[in-house]
Amino acid sequence: MTDAVNISSRVRLARNLREYPFPDRMSDAQKAEVIEKVKAAVLNLSKKLLFVNLSELSELDLVSMVERHLISPEFADKQSGRALAVSEDESVSIMINEEDHLRIQVILPGLCVEEAYRIAEEIESELSLYLNFAFDRNLGYLTQCPTNLGTGMRASVMMHLCAMSETRTVPRIATNLQKLGIAIRGTYGEGTDATSSLYQLSNQVTLGISEAAAVENIRNIALQLSETEKLTRENLMQSMEYQDKISRSMGILLTARLISYNEAVRLLSNVRLGICEGIIDNVSIDTVDKLIVSIQPASLMRREGRKLSPQERDKVRAELIKSTLR
Amino acid sequence: MKCQKCKVKNATTHVKRVVNGEYEEYMLCGDCAHEMGFDNVFDMDMPDMFGGLMKSLFGALPSRSGAARCPLCGSTLGDITNTGKVGCAKCYEVFYNELLPSVKRIHGNTTHSGKTPGRQAIPEKSKENSEKEIKEQIEGLKKQLDKAVEVQNFELAAELRDKIREMEGK
Ligand SMILES: [Zn+2]
Ligand SMILES: [Zn+2]
Repeated sequence: MTDAVNISSRVRLARNLREYPFPDRMSDAQKAEVIEKVKAAVLNLSKKLLFVNLSELSELDLVSMVERHLISPEFADKQSGRALAVSEDESVSIMINEEDHLRIQVILPGLCVEEAYRIAEEIESELSLYLNFAFDRNLGYLTQCPTNLGTGMRASVMMHLCAMSETRTVPRIATNLQKLGIAIRGTYGEGTDATSSLYQLSNQVTLGISEAAAVENIRNIALQLSETEKLTRENLMQSMEYQDKISRSMGILLTARLISYNEAVRLLSNVRLGICEGIIDNVSIDTVDKLIVSIQPASLMRREGRKLSPQERDKVRAELIKSTLR
Repeated sequence: MKCQKCKVKNATTHVKRVVNGEYEEYMLCGDCAHEMGFDNVFDMDMPDMFGGLMKSLFGALPSRSGAARCPLCGSTLGDITNTGKVGCAKCYEVFYNELLPSVKRIHGNTTHSGKTPGRQAIPEKSKENSEKEIKEQIEGLKKQLDKAVEVQNFELAAELRDKIREMEGK
């Protein structure tokens, strides 16, 4: 379950087939062969996944999948020679012919990196019965980019560090974490400006550290950050000024007729904090988290079933927020 | 061209991202790209940084293994250093000595630890495991071996067989 600080956990495993060049060096025919091989393996999995060629999907479908963190922007950018396997609840997805032949991803709400890894590992083990993954005794799983060598595993936690970003403590922590091979980065909204106080914590080193150890590191650091964030929130909430800011945020969200994505996320971030601190009690954290995903441009347009101009989007967004928060 | 974010430094990194439900491309300087997480391989590769890194490390040296091109994908060492991307699994074998310094720079390490094909990742603590746990692990491997034979993946079956022998020997 999603909690006050930890929004979601994600684990991604990179794998390649030994007998084919990596995606950047593959011919169209080879890409098609890899897709067929992976498809056959995926259809044998005990977990049922839907398998689609990317060219069968509309651009709106693809971009909204990016917004839901189901696939990467680079993957959605080019449709030919690529395929996707996805579970009905969208917690499991496999990108085929992205940067590597396979990118197995599991995303779960809240802080549960271990569980996400367990599921990803189970799928990978089953797939390895049918696919020969490229592996070297010293370098581990071989990947197109050497930054993923070894376990090929990237574990991450999406965190809502609103109080710590208010007090500007994140950059200092980021410098310390870097020494441990762990990165913490702000997630960005539209354009190049930081909008929300959502951060992603992830491991950078994949060679020489086991999956279990890397996952445990991420989990421990997420727990420590959560504690710090909670203490910082308590301090912040002492000030009437901040309480006022939260109430006003809710006020704008409930009355605005036009609202940009950036503004909405910033205000929802305040509301989320208000819920956690008991200032707002008629809305759940879960509702806010879902709203933050669904008010993104492509998700909005997909919901409406058509392309919308930026102003139309701001209007539809304002309506969706009002009807959800009321 | 100047960086589109700070508008001061020269842009060196070309990034793509989804903006307003559509793709948008940016030219950023190295610092701004880093700040925005665009050298984070979770979301994006880092050809500029990595390629540059490798180039500075060993320039255009010929491969120590003597091969100019990878026999499987045809990549030269130059192709790899210029793009920051390795051509195929075989490249790692052919250009192993040349790639190793960069791998060490990136990870601080050159020896894999963790899951190996056809085996559950065994937690590190289990190195001093009781005999019972080792027996359980062997049982698990045997089950996987049966399954591998069933689906006729003989390569994996052979690996599993060797691993079982090794573990039973201990
Ligand atoms: Zn800049
Ligand atoms: Zn090669």
